[in-house]
Amino acid sequence: MATVASSRPGAPSFARRALRSDHLAGWLFVLPSVFLVALFSIFPIIWGFVLSLQKASLISPNRPFVGFDNYTRIASDPRAVKAATNAVIYTSLFVPTSIILALFLAIALNQRIRLIRFYRLAVFIPVAVSTIATGIMFLWVFDANFGIANWALGGVGLGPFGWFDSPTGAMPSLVIMTVWGWLGFDTIIYLAALQGIPQELVEAAAVDGASRWSTFRNVTLPLLGPATLLLVVWSTISAVQLFDEVYFVTKGGPLGATSVPVFYIYRLAFTSLYGFGAAGYAAAIAYVLFIVILILTLIQFWLGNRVVHYSS
Amino acid sequence: MRRKLLIPITIATIALVAAACTSDTTSSGQSGSSGAPIELTMWHGYGKVVDNQGQTNFEAKSLTDLVDEFNSTHPDIHVTLDYIGSNDHALEKLTVALQGGLQPDITYQYGTSMPQLAEAPGIMDLTDHVQESDFQWDDFVEGARAAATVNDRVMGIPALIDNLAIVYNKDLFDAAGIDPPSADWTWDDFRTAAKALTDPSKQQFGLGFPIDASEDTVWHYDAMLWEAGGDILNADNTEAAFNSDAGVTALTALTDMAVTDKSVFLDQQNVGKIDTLFNNGKIAMDITGPWALSGYPDVNYGVQIMPEFPGGSHATIAGPDMWVLFDNGGGKGEAAWEFMKWFTAAEQVKADSLEAGHLPIRNSVVDESGFVDEFDKKFPGSGVFAENLANVTKARPVLATYDQISTIMGEAIVKAMLGQAEPKQALDDAASQVNDVLQGA
Repeated sequence: MATVASSRPGAPSFARRALRSDHLAGWLFVLPSVFLVALFSIFPIIWGFVLSLQKASLISPNRPFVGFDNYTRIASDPRAVKAATNAVIYTSLFVPTSIILALFLAIALNQRIRLIRFYRLAVFIPVAVSTIATGIMFLWVFDANFGIANWALGGVGLGPFGWFDSPTGAMPSLVIMTVWGWLGFDTIIYLAALQGIPQELVEAAAVDGASRWSTFRNVTLPLLGPATLLLVVWSTISAVQLFDEVYFVTKGGPLGATSVPVFYIYRLAFTSLYGFGAAGYAAAIAYVLFIVILILTLIQFWLGNRVVHYSS
Repeated sequence: MRRKLLIPITIATIALVAAACTSDTTSSGQSGSSGAPIELTMWHGYGKVVDNQGQTNFEAKSLTDLVDEFNSTHPDIHVTLDYIGSNDHALEKLTVALQGGLQPDITYQYGTSMPQLAEAPGIMDLTDHVQESDFQWDDFVEGARAAATVNDRVMGIPALIDNLAIVYNKDLFDAAGIDPPSADWTWDDFRTAAKALTDPSKQQFGLGFPIDASEDTVWHYDAMLWEAGGDILNADNTEAAFNSDAGVTALTALTDMAVTDKSVFLDQQNVGKIDTLFNNGKIAMDITGPWALSGYPDVNYGVQIMPEFPGGSHATIAGPDMWVLFDNGGGKGEAAWEFMKWFTAAEQVKADSLEAGHLPIRNSVVDESGFVDEFDKKFPGSGVFAENLANVTKARPVLATYDQISTIMGEAIVKAMLGQAEPKQALDDAASQVNDVLQGA
């Protein structure tokens, strides 16, 4: 339309053309979203970058620029290195555990058995429970002296374990708690993917004489590829950004055993436990974390494109 | 994880921004114009007047009653209370509010945050105000005045003062046939009792101790350090002093109980387990402050001052909290001061103590004849805490880097109490880190 209008003799001015064009209407429709995205995403991203170049506390208005000092400081900061190491340990435990368990559960919940809706609901409920409620519950379940976990394990001759109180046990305990809390979500994704697999393919495999395992291995599992890729990417991003559970349950302890990057960033920026005026440094770590997540995600998609052959 | 919270947070943020925008326009319209009272907002962490269990929260009620009384007797000023959640997060909330220029006119803050807050834009320097003759600044507890003073400038008004003492379960002492803590106890007596009161078969511990490496861990240790005759930093705050013999003695007393005797319930998370267990008779002794007493309705408890080390003292530590004022323009700053002056006058301090159970922040109230008896009758055990204020002889250093120093000390204490380092080694390592901080490295 716009081209037709402008080719006429005595074509209207640029402003008139702009007003009549479809683009304007389009932009007007998306304006509220653009405004919100700009306000809550783009502005903080830019402001965060400026902050990362400053020696700044969020209280004092005095914020001198220090160039890239905040970035060069990260590698020689033992707490930052510890947080990064913890993130790697947590992610490499959380992602495979939750995805493999979710796959098993999804297969179990995909059977035609009585009370299946109840079982599905039971698996999903932890996702809907608030993190704080989950945290309070696990604090008592995993209490070293009074917890039901040690009581039950003691009954079969195991333990007692220190759980959250032990510098070596805190991270695995955190993994158990977060897997419990998030398993339902992964399971639902897998369940949906399983139900999206055409029955003809499974039947065809059976007709060809494939065993159940062989059918699962060669038909079902490859068809779950896209769902698995989604879950791996999504779980990794959330695992690297772990915060709530650490903030509430372990507070990074004992002795920094569960201090993870976002928690460390939070403490640097909003408390003065690691020094006054560390908000700029916190922003620098946040930027490094952003780049790490970006690279991780790109690698996962690249690998995914090589491994995942089907798309539903 | 974050994603779970993203949507509610986004909605809340939008709502908050919207609310902030609207309230901004109304308040700026009101202040300045004559007739309408000056509106002040006051942040506090005392909770709701009626809590979620339907119980009256006397701390919140006392505050609300006083503010209502002020509002009705001062028609030109109207103070609105705003409960902002736990005081532990008051500094974070204020930090965020300062980013948006939405700071309140009056806010409750921990004394240890004062050196940082002194740099906040708009904070009121009260140095000249407190010298007004009818305010009687010298009447405030000395340790609290020191904590309010940053580089010789008074940046806040003491809101509350606590101190640490032993709260013990009388029935558990009786059952074990042990004499209850006396005012001349040493830490050896304490250790012996704690060991005797520990019974793994009943899951009973002699002592509960927070080891989340927070300031809560550290100030328990600070009191012991002072009892042993040591100090946190040297006199001019340039070097760590807690790794002295006194510091090692104090930490060894803790590791003897925690590591050797295993008579201590070590609370790693410190979100209320010790209080719950004490109230259920699973912990015999708790070193805590007067605020904890209301959480022990099921226990027949007694209160005793801190033990001493040989040749030391029964020193305790005070945790003075502050009211911090911001001058948000339009006469609000002066109005906030007028309110604060009334609110912290002896009459109001006394009323608050007797209703909320807070230790009086003014010496004249403690010294008033009959006050301690009346106070202790109303809040059993609180009389010991009120008199224990006399054992507050030292204060934590008033430094912007204090929180950082505290973190380092906290980690050393926890390391030793978990048996992962010898007390001397842990404190020496911490001291060298603290010295780096003090030298601005």
